Order: sequence, then C-alpha cells, then structure tokens
Amino acid sequence: MNNPLFLLYGVFLLGLTGVAEYRGWSLSSVNQQKVLPKSIRDNPGAYRSTYGGVSRYIGGK
Amino acid sequence: MSSTLVSPPLVKAKSLACPNCGGPVELRGFAHTLSVVCPQCLSVLDPTTPQVQILQTFQGKERIQPKIPLGARGTLSGIIYQVIGFQQRTVMSEGDFFCWDEYLLFNPYQGFRYLTEYEGHWNFVRVQSALPVATRSGGRIAMHFEGKTFLAFDAMQAQTSYVLGEFPWQVRSGEWAACQDLIAPPYMLSAETTDDEITWSLGEYTEGTDIWKAFKLPGPPPAKSGIFANQPSPYRGTVGSAWRTWLWLNVALFGLLLFFSMFKSNREVFKNDYVFVPGRSASAFVTSAFDLAGRESNVELAVHTDLDNNWAYFSFALINEETGQAFDFGREVSYYHDSDGSEGSRNDTVIVPGVPSGRYYLRVEPEMSRSLTDLRYEITLRRDVPNNIFFLLAALLLLIPPIFKTVRSARFEGQRWRESDYAPKTSSNSGGDD
Repeated sequence: MNNPLFLLYGVFLLGLTGVAEYRGWSLSSVNQQKVLPKSIRDNPGAYRSTYGGVSRYIGGK
Repeated sequence: MSSTLVSPPLVKAKSLACPNCGGPVELRGFAHTLSVVCPQCLSVLDPTTPQVQILQTFQGKERIQPKIPLGARGTLSGIIYQVIGFQQRTVMSEGDFFCWDEYLLFNPYQGFRYLTEYEGHWNFVRVQSALPVATRSGGRIAMHFEGKTFLAFDAMQAQTSYVLGEFPWQVRSGEWAACQDLIAPPYMLSAETTDDEITWSLGEYTEGTDIWKAFKLPGPPPAKSGIFANQPSPYRGTVGSAWRTWLWLNVALFGLLLFFSMFKSNREVFKNDYVFVPGRSASAFVTSAFDLAGRESNVELAVHTDLDNNWAYFSFALINEETGQAFDFGREVSYYHDSDGSEGSRNDTVIVPGVPSGRYYLRVEPEMSRSLTDLRYEITLRRDVPNNIFFLLAALLLLIPPIFKTVRSARFEGQRWRESDYAPKTSSNSGGDD
C-alpha cells in the first residue's frame, strides 16, 4: 500500500461515519436541550420555544 | 542482481608533449582516443599520428572548470569508470543560450559512457547500437525502443562550445549537430545527427547526490533548477494507487452503509393527522406519549402538509415525559408554484440526534398567515433511522486525497512539458503581449 496516510485518513473517516450513524448524529440544528417543568404537558402554550414566536414570511413565487 | 566491479587496469597513462605549447598531455583512453585536448593551451590534438597533429587551437575567451575533474574515478551501475573527457554543448533558443555539460567516462572493458548535466539534472548515458522504431502515441511523435514508448520532447541544433580531455572521435569546438530528445521518464532517448551519422543514446536520470557519492566529490552537487525532461515524477504510481485505495475505501463505506441500512430499526413510533385553522386553532398542543426504545439514537420527524402557494412554520419540542428534557427545533415548510415551475416542498424531514430511550411526547406550535386557508398536515416520528448524509460526506471527503495527488501530478507533468517543443498549445503561451 503506497498511501498509508490516505488509508489512515480513510479508516478514520469510516470509523467516524460508523460512530455518527450508530449514535444517531445529525447535522440538523435541533439540539437545543433543556429541562422543562411537567406542567408543559397540561399547558403547552406556556412554553416559549427557542424557534417560535417570530412571524415570518419567506416570500415565494 | 549481482554486480561486478570491473576496474580499469592500473597502467600508467600514456603521455605526450603538446606540439603547440610543449606541455604534457596524458592519454587515458588508450587506442580509443582519436583526439585529445591539451590541458594547458586547450589545443585539440590528434594523438594517432606520430607527430601529434594540432587539429584546432583554442579560440575561446574563458576556461571552464568541469564539476567532475578529469581523471576522477567513480562506480556507476557497479562499474568503475574514469572521466576522460568533458565538453560543453550550447543551443540557442528564442535568443537565449542554454548550455549543458557532457562528461565522457571510460572503462577498458565496458567502453564509453556519458554523464550529462543541465542545471543540476544528471543523466547516465550509453550509446545504443540498436535502432528505435518510429511510432505514434496519442497522436504524438514517438519512438519504440527496448519495450518502451518514448515521446518526442524537443529538437535543437547544438554546438560544441568547449572541450577538454580526450575523445574517441575527432572533436572540434564549434561543431554543430542536430539533436532530438524523446522521453519515457526516467529514460531519455537521444538522437544526434551530423553530416556523417546518426547516433542514438539512452540516458537514465540519475540523482546528483548519487554522482557525487560515486565519484567521492567534495561538497553538495549543484542544486536542481526546474523540472528536467526525463526527471521521474515523485507522483509516478501514487496517483493510480491513491485511486485504488479510494475505491477500496468506498467499497468499505458502501458495506458500512448496507450494514446500518439492514440493522437500524427504522421503527415508526408515532403518526397522526392534524388540521390547523389560522386564528382559530390553539396555537400550541402536545401529542399523546410514545416510547422511544433501545440505545441512544436519532429520531426522524416528517411533516407532510397540503400547502399550496403558502408557507407554515412549526415549532417542535420533543419532550421526555419523565425527565422533562426537551429537544427544541423549528421547521419552515413552504410550497409555491406557477406556470414557470415550483419552489419549495409541501413536506419536510428533520433528524433529531442523540435521543436517549424513554417515554416522550411532542409539543407542536404551527404558525401561518391569518388570511390564508386551513392547513392539513401529518406528523410521523421514526426511531433509529439511517442518516445517509454522513456517508455522502465521507464519500466526498475521501475524494480529497486522490484528487489532490492527481492535481499535483498533473501540475508536475505540466511543468515538464512546458519546456518541450511539443508542449500542448495553450492561450497563455500562444500570446505575445508580454
């Protein structure tokens, strides 16, 4: 094998891909974790989402 | 392969007196020497005649000191050679003069060899008796010789501008010869044409450090400048090897993809339909609870809507019923279309990473413009889904090393052929503005 560094890099990438897939990683921006009170279950409107409450119009054709 | 050191016999060199200046002239080439240059006055002499005829007197202005001294002995390819002659050849190209040096090596059993040097690039050269066969390779002029195809590299008229030592032909300073070089790195096939004959020789690129070591010369060899015609590419063989490695890594990556595709549970854990009436529906609600089993893994949330020239925004929170831990995220869905085409999509999918097992519910808060119609949508949650984006990313990142090597190799070859008379014509070298 004439490309030991490339092979090492490739094996690292494959390993990283395997770990990402096994652990269920994602590139989505969804990882705002917080601990909410149990009252949210009964009063969902009381919760202020990090991503909510902003009027948006994105235009269109 | 065994190599036999064949040393020239340690006989005293024959000596004669220069008829021009009277200085002593040594002969190391024995009966092979047909001309010799007096080291004192640089006259070219014919030692084969009893009276040692003067063939040419030195007309030059400066003496040149060979980098390998005459008389030096060195072992090349397992054979001991002695440097007995030196000549400098000059070509004129586009108004500039270029010179290279040639050293004549002699071993009484092996005959003559040459060392050529141009700007720190050396070739060990042997005259060939066999003739190459003219051919073409990829539409280019080429020669086939000893199983290799040599591509035409350059052609020039070279003048012998300086001579020193002895030669097995009647050398003259100022002689012209037509030279043609063809390359199959690390080899160079050269033709030298005079009025009388065509001489073919085969050179092999040799590192200056090897020459210096062979002749036990002091100091470092002259530094290399540029890339020589038959200089072996440092990337030779590595590009193909890199692409083969890339192929095998992709096979392994595909195997990994198949493995996860087969063994990921990809289980639907929740599905429900909803209607949102802007201005009338509750702005936020929670779903019934559902179980996310197994190890920590991802959860895929898919929203399918009936949007038509409209948009909607969903604030989601995936909340663990027991711990209160929430995964908070928002998704924008929009779909517009007219006669020119469409934009966006009625559906959206997001993967929530690293969700521990437990009992969860989903908080949903849709938003729309008040003036628009009702929105029907379906929410589906799946546990432990394959996420091909990482495989795609890995495949793209795996491309970097072989592409990098390919580009470096192509750049090296581009630099090599830029010096060639047969270089591909480009707009940059066809212009004459600069």
